[in-house]
Parts: sequence; C-alpha cells; structure tokens
Amino acid sequence: MAYSEKVVDHYNNPRNVGSFPKDTLGVGTGLVGAPECGDVMKLQIKVNVQTGVIEDAKFKTFGCGSAIASSSLATEWLKGKTVDEAAKIKNTDIVSELKLPPVKIHCSVLAEDAIKAALADCKEKWLKAGAPAASTT
Amino acid sequence: MDHFEVFGLPRRLAIDTAELQRKFYELSRRHHPDFHQTAPPEEQARALEASARLNAAYRALRDPILRVEYLVRLEEGRDTKEGATVKPKAPPELLEEMFEIQEALAEAKAGGLDGAGRAVLVAQRDRLTARLRDEEARLVGPLSQHWDASPPAARQRGLAAMKESLAIRAYLRTVIDDLTDALGENQEGYVTNRRH
Repeated sequence: MAYSEKVVDHYNNPRNVGSFPKDTLGVGTGLVGAPECGDVMKLQIKVNVQTGVIEDAKFKTFGCGSAIASSSLATEWLKGKTVDEAAKIKNTDIVSELKLPPVKIHCSVLAEDAIKAALADCKEKWLKAGAPAASTT
Repeated sequence: MDHFEVFGLPRRLAIDTAELQRKFYELSRRHHPDFHQTAPPEEQARALEASARLNAAYRALRDPILRVEYLVRLEEGRDTKEGATVKPKAPPELLEEMFEIQEALAEAKAGGLDGAGRAVLVAQRDRLTARLRDEEARLVGPLSQHWDASPPAARQRGLAAMKESLAIRAYLRTVIDDLTDALGENQEGYVTNRRH
C-alpha cells in the first residue's frame, strides 16, 4: 500500500518520541491498543497545572506506519493547546491531514483514544492530588 | 443466508468437522458450475453464486477459531450492517505487558543482539507461544462450549469473553511475530499476522 508523503515523513522522522515519568503531577498517560493488528500506542502529555496548557507531549508506538504517524502528529498538535482544546482533536482531523486510506482509519481512532486516555489520566491524578491549582477542567 | 444456514446448521460453535466436510463435498457437487453448463443463464448464475457462498461458508466454519470470529461478527451484525461494531478490549495489564515487551525488544535490537540477548528473546517467545496455545484452547474449548450452552438471553457475556480472548490472541500473535522477526527467523509463508 502506498503511504502518503506526510505519513512517510512522520514514520522516518517521528516527532517527540519518548516518555515522561508517569507519576509526575501534570503528566497524563494514555496506553491504547488495536487488537485487530496488535498495535500498541503510548501517548503522554505534560500539562502545566496552573494554566491548563499542554507544555510537552511524547509518544511511543509499536505498530504500522500509519499508527506511528498518527501518534507523532498528535503530539505535535497537542503541544501548546489547552486541555479543553486537546479534547476536541478528532480522528477525522488526523485522517485528512495524513490522507489515510479507509483501511488505516483505525490508526487515527487509536490516536484519538490515546489523547482522551491521556487527558483523563491527567485529570484523575490531578483530582487525586487534591486539585492543587485552578483550571485543568 | 448466513454461513451456518448454508449448511443447514444451527448457530452453534460445536461442529463435527468431518460431517461438515462431507456436507461440503455433497453441496459442492450439487452447485458446481460444471454441472449447470447446459442450464439457462439465470440458473448458471445462481449455481455460481451458490458455489461461491458455499466456499466462503466452509472456509469460515471449518476452523474453530475462524468460526468464533465469524460468530462474533454475525452476532454483532457486523456481517450485515456496517458500523455495528463494539471494539474488543484486551485487559489493560496485557496492553502494558505487550508494550513493555515491545520496548525491551526495540532496545535489544538497537543494541545489537548477542548470544545472551537472543537466548532471552527465544525464551520469551517460547513462553508467549505457550500462552497463545492456552488462550486458543480456552477459546475453542470452554468459552465456545459456554456459548453453546447459554440460553440466548445470557449470551452477551459469553460473547464478550470470546471477544476478549480473540483480542488477547491478536496481541500475543503480533508480539510473537515481532520477536521471531527480530531473531531473523521469519520466513516467507510463516508470517501469520503481519502489519501492513
């Protein structure tokens, strides 16, 4: 199957590969998988709990080119967004940016799921810590 | 007509495969296009269609794991209407474990595999392969029997359990495949669950 140029670019030069210590306050981790192909994707965000802005994002994906590209793109988009803005990222945005063919749409869904899981994890930890600052709704 | 109906079978996972094969041959002969060459075109087309349907049904039902996969799709209406899917979910611990194995594998590959490193990967692959066998045995054994024994109203849970088992199987297969790949032992034809 032919990958779009953007997918190939993200695949060859993935942005923001790595991880944060997951127990740090402000860090949210989303670990998701696609049983159909066995892919696993970990996406993490580092939120400034004062401002609710995502200051950094990292990912590690073991999967096909489209899954890697989807999560790589997601981390680029997440940086600088507030958590509320981040929650609005849709898999269809990723599909159109990367020109994913129909059989690869599930990769973008995986990335959206990972974002949602990371945001939820971040919020949960923040609430558990007694909601130390305003924002991060 | 679903694949079970093609063979006149009830929607059950316990199937006598020898009997299924016998029926398949019998129906194949009946529908074989060669026996309808002198028939009018509409009848020939019908025979061709029946023949194709029969082949698809046999492929889906003869293997007990494919049979479960088909049944899950059928029960969820995925075979008839689109978008009726409920995503199977593997347990989160499994996901974490698969991620850790993949991470360790990537590191091992980056560092170059020496004899000791290979031995670790081989041991891990053997352990995971044994787990895959167990999972498949559970799927075609107790889980399938449980489904067959459940009254229709109580089938949802059995279906969920089978889906989870299929998801676990898919993850295990991928990671075993990746380990085999890293060991340089994957040959053409062996590859079971390749990524595209």
